[in-house]
Amino acid sequence: MLEERVAEAPYGDPFGYFEKRTSFVDGVVIPGIETALAGPISVAFAVAAVGGYGRRELFPQSDIDLLLLFESQADLEGIKEPVSDFVRSLWDAGLRASHSVRTVSECCQLNEQNIELHISLLDLRFLAGDRRLFSTLEERLAAFYQRQARTLTQRLTEMVRQRHAKFNNTVYHLEPNVKEAPGAIRDIHFLHWVRQLAPQYALIDESYRELEPAKQFLYTVRCFLHEQAKRDNNLLTFELQDEAARRLAGADTQPEEWMRQYYRQARRVWQSTLRALEYIDGQDPSLVRQFRDWRSRLSSSEFTISRDRILLRNAAETLGSAEAMLRLFTFVARHGVALSWDTHRRFSAALAAVESGFERSPVGWAAWREMLAQPHAGLALHQMQEAGVLTAAIREWRSIDSLVVRDFYHRYTVDEHTLVAIASIDDLLASDEPALGRFRDLLREEEEPAVLRAALLFHDIGKGTRPGDHVRGSVESAEAVMQRWRVPGPVREKVRLLIQHHLVLSLLMNGRDLDDPATARFLSSHIGTPEDLRRLTLMTYADISAVNPTAMTPWRQERLWQVYSMGKQQLTRELAQNRIHDAAKVVEGWAISAELGAFFEGLPARYLRTHGKSEAEHHLQLDRKRKREGVAVEITPEAGAYLLTVLASDRPGLFAEMCGTLASFGMSIVKAEAASNAAGCVVDLFRFADPMRTLELNPSERNRLQWTVECVVKGSIAVEDLLKRRRAAPRPSRGARIVPAVRFSNEASDAATLIDFVGEDRPGLLYGLASAINAAGCNIELVMIDTEAHKALDVFYVTRNGEKLDEGTQAELGSELSRVAMPV
Amino acid sequence: MKKIEAIIQPHKLDEVKEALKNIGVDGLTISEVRGHGRQKGHREVYRGMEYEVDLLPKIKIETVVPDARLDEIARTISSSARTGKIGDGKIFIYDVLEAIRIRNDDTGEAAL
Repeated sequence: MLEERVAEAPYGDPFGYFEKRTSFVDGVVIPGIETALAGPISVAFAVAAVGGYGRRELFPQSDIDLLLLFESQADLEGIKEPVSDFVRSLWDAGLRASHSVRTVSECCQLNEQNIELHISLLDLRFLAGDRRLFSTLEERLAAFYQRQARTLTQRLTEMVRQRHAKFNNTVYHLEPNVKEAPGAIRDIHFLHWVRQLAPQYALIDESYRELEPAKQFLYTVRCFLHEQAKRDNNLLTFELQDEAARRLAGADTQPEEWMRQYYRQARRVWQSTLRALEYIDGQDPSLVRQFRDWRSRLSSSEFTISRDRILLRNAAETLGSAEAMLRLFTFVARHGVALSWDTHRRFSAALAAVESGFERSPVGWAAWREMLAQPHAGLALHQMQEAGVLTAAIREWRSIDSLVVRDFYHRYTVDEHTLVAIASIDDLLASDEPALGRFRDLLREEEEPAVLRAALLFHDIGKGTRPGDHVRGSVESAEAVMQRWRVPGPVREKVRLLIQHHLVLSLLMNGRDLDDPATARFLSSHIGTPEDLRRLTLMTYADISAVNPTAMTPWRQERLWQVYSMGKQQLTRELAQNRIHDAAKVVEGWAISAELGAFFEGLPARYLRTHGKSEAEHHLQLDRKRKREGVAVEITPEAGAYLLTVLASDRPGLFAEMCGTLASFGMSIVKAEAASNAAGCVVDLFRFADPMRTLELNPSERNRLQWTVECVVKGSIAVEDLLKRRRAAPRPSRGARIVPAVRFSNEASDAATLIDFVGEDRPGLLYGLASAINAAGCNIELVMIDTEAHKALDVFYVTRNGEKLDEGTQAELGSELSRVAMPV
Repeated sequence: MKKIEAIIQPHKLDEVKEALKNIGVDGLTISEVRGHGRQKGHREVYRGMEYEVDLLPKIKIETVVPDARLDEIARTISSSARTGKIGDGKIFIYDVLEAIRIRNDDTGEAAL
């Protein structure tokens, strides 16, 4: 058979093979034209090869595309039968031929519906027939392309972008299509066509020439795929990767290693394509106008934004310092603007220096945290990856760089999966999809988005270092990186917990009875606090979303939410019920003295999950002071806020008085927790903002606030007197106002009634709520206060005469709380 | 031949598959579906926002079986999928006119 004879060409020389096959096909087609067409057709005609056949790039199973050219429509009469006979003879000879019949004018008129025709004619090659007619077409086409170059180039870039989008704009597919995927052969063709349409774009010509090794590699792979399948198959499946590694790189080459070579070559093509797209956009006057928009105003002393891309003002300075490089990517993460090709090129040229920069002086957590907290952190990390900076900055990342782990459901390499997961968090925040509202709300409540993104960044690194137990490997790698980044202990603990348990929610979603209390207990035993559960839910959401573009189905969203709700309910219940008893048995690795044990006794179990050893020991010192002086009060500044810690003997109304005191100083409580131990000592923690910067501008005010709190606790100052002097606080706009919602539940705890309050936050609100609860004769057993923008999210566990609240009390208290919280 | 379509709780899938495998039923089609029966949906309040949860996640199992084994297989599904609570699901049984194995054109029960 013809095809079999041709396919004997070695894979190592695809271009030699193309030459051979093209000559072979020409040897069949040209005589066929003479035999089947020249006699029966009396008018002038010519036959040309177009597309791949035209440019002499015939892969083993490529189609043979032919153009049958005539002078005018009148000439087309009576040609149908001889043309059919001719094409049939080619099929009989074993060639899959397709043809089109056109006049010279049709070829040279812009047809917006058939841009592919104009593109295919760029690779026109005369085969047989009337040479004069063909020359006429060539001349007129040259003028046509000159006239329409801009339009055709623009349409071509649109088609390229659409094709990239079909493949989610990534090279890193586990089973890539070597013809159509980003970085595959079609992108090489794109550059080839642009060179012809716009020969003045020297930069694109240069890019194209640099791709020879990638072209050789990808063309070889496609020849191999055609040869294996005996059809036009371009999908490099897992099975074919095994075979390709063995046949194309040698019996000792592991498929994963060979695939890394594939991604390296595809990445080169992809980057050249992006460079060309960016360059072409820059040449379009209508787009240039758009580029002069607000983004250029974001330029800083270090970076310029030009045509929607970031350029370096002083490349040597930026690339010479790890801190400066991270500032660049923080800029990307903050504004969502990508690096320009020039910036990428500078990184590529200085990669060794970039690497040693990060090795010499690792950047600390503060800088990483700043980047990972930004709304476009996913884009920044993708840009770091493309520029080769991610492996330079995090050496552990190399183990998963372009790593294929075969999985039926996964679409991307491990590194790409990780980056897509982080990007899906960014997308969730920006999305207005109603179905995702619940998850979006969870994300908005997240105080430490950098922790979530850091955990995602490391969660699968173990797939490269410990393939059999990747969770353990990921924790080990994360520990090593966090050590270098000097990440504070509590943050490390959070990241470690998220990585350790990142598969737990998926496990529960798929295989556990969510109505079984044992499932809820299993979850709460792994995830100690609602904050960790929230973060883990978001991590699971991102992890599933990055498996493939359709993995996060409404079914899985609902299932994940069910798991979250179940866990939240359980943790809320445990909040009031689970009290510390015999701390020495609960806490591992701490030496618990009798005094410390007695202090812990009766506090909520949450206390030990949210406070480290040093914090707990500090609280014990404050408790000693309380015992000596009746009260211990401390105010410490934190990032953007202050922490007020109060240890005092419990009494009714104390929590409300603390809230009132802070309100009288114009402070805004953003978070609070209050609980008491078995000895009757309350541990109240208030995180508050100082919107008027009173404490910052008047250091003595901090002492006065501390003294005032002490006096209020001791009863020497009445909080009502303090509040008389308070000015009305500024309110949010009317549009932002939130109608208060109060929900009671006697099911959430065995011993207390839960009050779940949501309303518009304002200074003094908490004082009002707590006072209303006291006025109703209720005792606040435990409280957790949170805020999100202007929304107050408060949970109180209350009792009345040691019992849960009856329905009547709930109704009265509910309307009183709503009245107190109603926006004015 | 009969087609059995069972809507079950997601966490019961492994148990049902195992039970069917133990009685020699291997051919199954599994889909993730959402819906509600008497269990109905509910409104959920999360931090002051109400969410309508009217379609609950379930698993649909489909299999075509010989008439003679219908009762045994339906009973196996029912007992292995049961928790005794609302929301356990339902089993529907349909007549099947014909089955054809595409590979070799086997028809009828031989194609199952």
